[in-house]
Amino acid sequence: MNAPLVPPTMTDAAARTVNLSKVYGSGETEVKALDDVTIDFERGRFTAIMGPSGSGKSTLMHCVAGLDTITTGQIFVGDIDLGTLNERQLTRLRRDTIGFIFQAFNLIPTLDALENITLPMDLAGRSADKEWLDTIVATVGLGDRLSHRPSELSGGQQQRVAVARALASRPAIVFADEPTGNLDSRAGTEILQFMRTAVDTFGQSIVMVTHDPTAASYADRVVFLADGRIVDEIQSPTAEAVLDRLKRFGA
Amino acid sequence: MLKVTLRGLMAHKVRLIATAIAVILGVAFMTGTQVLTSSISASFDKVFADVYASIDVVVRSDTKIETPFGAERTRMTDEVVPAIEDVPGVAAAEGQVVGQIRVLDRNNEPLVATQGPPNFALNWLTAPQLNGWSLVEGSAPMGPDQVVLDAKTAKDGSYAVGDNVSVLVTGGVQQFQVVGIAKFGKLETWGGAQAALFDTATTQALVGEPGKFDWISIAGKEGVSQAELRNEVSLVIPAGTEAITGKEFTAESQDAFQKIIGVFNTFLLAFALIALFVGSFVIYNTFSIIVAQRTRELALLRAIGASRGQVLRSVILEAFTVGFAASVVGVGFGILLAIGLNNLMKSVGFSGPDTPIIIPMSAVISSVVVGTVITLLSAVFPARRAATIAPVAAMRDVAVESVLTSRRRLSAGLVLLAGGAIALWFGLFGNLDSGLQLVGLGAFTVFIGMTVIGPVTAPHMARFLGWPLARFGGVNGRLARENAMRNPKRTATTASALMIGVGLVGFIAVTAQSIKVSTVEAIDQSVSGQYVVTSDGFGSTALPADVAIQIRALPEVETAAGLRGTFATVDGSNKIVIAANPKDLVKVIDFTDVDGSLADLTVNGIAASKTLAADKNLVIGQEIDATFLQGGSTTLILEAIYDTQFPIQGGGWLITTEEFNRLVPPAQQTDSSIYIELKDSSKAGIEAARPSLEAIVDAVPGANLQNLDEFKQAQTDQANQFLAIVYVLLALALVIAIVGVINTLLLSVYERTREIGLLRAVGMSRRQLRSSIRWESVIISLIGTLVGLAIGLVFGWALVKALADEGITAFAIPWAQLVIVVLLAALAGVGAALYPAWRAGRLDVLRAVSSE
Repeated sequence: MNAPLVPPTMTDAAARTVNLSKVYGSGETEVKALDDVTIDFERGRFTAIMGPSGSGKSTLMHCVAGLDTITTGQIFVGDIDLGTLNERQLTRLRRDTIGFIFQAFNLIPTLDALENITLPMDLAGRSADKEWLDTIVATVGLGDRLSHRPSELSGGQQQRVAVARALASRPAIVFADEPTGNLDSRAGTEILQFMRTAVDTFGQSIVMVTHDPTAASYADRVVFLADGRIVDEIQSPTAEAVLDRLKRFGA
Repeated sequence: MLKVTLRGLMAHKVRLIATAIAVILGVAFMTGTQVLTSSISASFDKVFADVYASIDVVVRSDTKIETPFGAERTRMTDEVVPAIEDVPGVAAAEGQVVGQIRVLDRNNEPLVATQGPPNFALNWLTAPQLNGWSLVEGSAPMGPDQVVLDAKTAKDGSYAVGDNVSVLVTGGVQQFQVVGIAKFGKLETWGGAQAALFDTATTQALVGEPGKFDWISIAGKEGVSQAELRNEVSLVIPAGTEAITGKEFTAESQDAFQKIIGVFNTFLLAFALIALFVGSFVIYNTFSIIVAQRTRELALLRAIGASRGQVLRSVILEAFTVGFAASVVGVGFGILLAIGLNNLMKSVGFSGPDTPIIIPMSAVISSVVVGTVITLLSAVFPARRAATIAPVAAMRDVAVESVLTSRRRLSAGLVLLAGGAIALWFGLFGNLDSGLQLVGLGAFTVFIGMTVIGPVTAPHMARFLGWPLARFGGVNGRLARENAMRNPKRTATTASALMIGVGLVGFIAVTAQSIKVSTVEAIDQSVSGQYVVTSDGFGSTALPADVAIQIRALPEVETAAGLRGTFATVDGSNKIVIAANPKDLVKVIDFTDVDGSLADLTVNGIAASKTLAADKNLVIGQEIDATFLQGGSTTLILEAIYDTQFPIQGGGWLITTEEFNRLVPPAQQTDSSIYIELKDSSKAGIEAARPSLEAIVDAVPGANLQNLDEFKQAQTDQANQFLAIVYVLLALALVIAIVGVINTLLLSVYERTREIGLLRAVGMSRRQLRSSIRWESVIISLIGTLVGLAIGLVFGWALVKALADEGITAFAIPWAQLVIVVLLAALAGVGAALYPAWRAGRLDVLRAVSSE
């Protein structure tokens, strides 16, 4: 019953975990949020993580993104072992190497759209690559809205700004946590198409947590979690195939 | 609903700490002040009661003059004593003489400072029923060279029976032989005062007039009540005198002292109220923010059936609980504060009577009531806002604090400002009896007006002040500016608390600076002499008349003019009349003759200042009636009307020294200051004259020789001392305002948890986050400080204009001090942000990014 050991050498993974476990509490009240998870998120691909509530999918993403602590195991983003980083280095990693898209409250209300997009670069004290920025802004179609504050944008527009921000600093990997959860289906579809374009056109690596089989169908690969373990995965999924697989969790 | 309130209270207790601190500090100050002053006054009451315990009836003159130090009465002879002794109920009657002297130590320096307890000279009473002093050692004083000292003075100066002791009296320093040491009852002395007892004739010669007494003390036989005795004595005393009971006499002294300590008490209470006023802003802000943050919770309560009244009462009850509890704690701290201050005063040598701490119930009740009511009032508006939350808000996203539409707010604020300014104007320039109250009301209204306008102006100020940050401070600077602007009401209220404290500091600083500059300018322009001699004694212990004479006799000296003064009734009102030798005076101080000639003032003449002459429509040649309490009445001719820049003390009347000496007894014939004109006024000449001047001045205890620079410095130092005390008292209000800044930042950080989490998630370092919060704090602090200083400057300017008649001619701004205030405010902003920024840095990033 030995877990497959992946040697910590160069792989083609943008991020990966090795025997990752996360335990809350101890003794009687011990809860295993993640139980010995070993997974690669390949470079240049779009991976979706699915599973019932409480399966640990959000926890997995938070751990890999360096937002949450782990109990045992290893996490690599590129070649960097997150376990060897201190608070400050983790912050810098998040700023420079990782992009984030959240379900809600994705923007700083006091900054306008453009300032929100360049926020990670501003924090790093770097200036944005103008050409790249223009490309991104054009891709997400925000040209005339850049000087608006978040409160003046619709939910879909806000999420497009968030996508642009996640892509703007050319991160090694983008993590998206239910990015379409708060949007109607049309706005949601737009966001998913942008993410798909980013993967296909710019070779961006993306990991997305979602509940929605349609959203998952935009990914190259869907990984299923249950009770903190990886239980299955589907390559080149369709919405129907994902739905079928999900139904079996209920059975 | 009660349960919900109490649960809410427990859940928000951390957020209510600032409210509690604001109330506790203000209430503690208020209680402490009252406990301290009532303890002091109670102990002095006891001293007076002890001192006059043996007196059953007092007979004294009914001619008196009111001075700021209480009523002064004409002295009387003791011719009436035999008649009083014939009254059946009288056991003994004897005249009492009281005056001021200074007992010196072996280095010829006064044993106690001017600011210390009084130094009494008393005549030794021979009737044992009347004399409260009992000899511990030695014998009663007899003849012109003998003195009995109180046990404490003897101990302090280590004088024993048989020693010689020097005493500063009107004629100069005089030597006496200590023949006895006495205690007053069980006490070493009268409540800290210094007492030197001489025989009656000596006492009269030293501090009074031969054959005259201040009053006659009478002891009754056993079984005769004080009232009966007074009625009997009243029948035998001559016209111009009155008889009162010992109780009434004691009560008069107690009341006079109560009045002085009452002023002190009011002065301190004013600062306690300022602190509470500032605190009310902190309380208001806390409740506003808590209500805003609980919008959803309160809306949910409404949605499930809670009435508006219930929500309102819930918030009010919360405020009441916090206010009451904090007030009670504040009273406790206040009592501790009073005990601490009392001990401190003892340890720094304020040797008042032993002061047992007295806690008046009225102080406790008033402090608790004021603390609770202020909390309640400050919470009323937030509570009303809570009650108007619609149930549907429970279903909406986070609600923002609503701001009254700018236009209505602006006009309301402007109306308040205008009203305040008008009240100030009439208070200062209207010559009204209630001027001071009107000024206070005006200032209060102006502050409220500024607070109402605050939310309209605060974002603009934040944008302006934050410009360099946004331009050069990177994204954290930009965020700091935006955050300071995003909630105008919150920023404005927080800044307002600071504004009031700083406004008062600025006001005091400008006024004090103007007074200092005016004084220095006046001295520069009007004093043509080179040296001034001053004394820290007054009345009979000021500069002996001989000093000016000795100085005038020095070869280096051209002229020396001594100024002396006393209270007198001139032309129908009580004023201080100044006396000098006019020919000498005009040489050392510049006077302009408006009419007549001051230099030619004669013995029968009197001069008036320009202002006085204008007020009273005086004309040269007019007859002026003057009554000197201890000297009698005379009629003088107005011979000169003068004008001068010199800050001459008194009411503007000036007479010759010769006439003065004719009108007042020798004990008052002392100079309060002497101005000296040298023959050689070059720098070298001034320095060369110093040694011979010093030789004369150093021989006089309490006298100081100052050249003009030193004289100006001494005048300025006095103002600085007062300034320092006021600043210390205002510090409390500033501390509360800073607590308010900390509190607002903490609550804002709490409110922005998700936002901060997002910033951290996308790569903001803790350091950047902290710097952002720090700058936000600095912007808020600077808004309060700059607005406060601006208001302070305007208030100061108005007061200086109003005081133009009092010789405050210059309006001066202490720029360096104001810059320091601004820097301190910025620093306080940084300090206030320390804890909130640290908290923000510790926030769990995940809380922001996990969906609800």
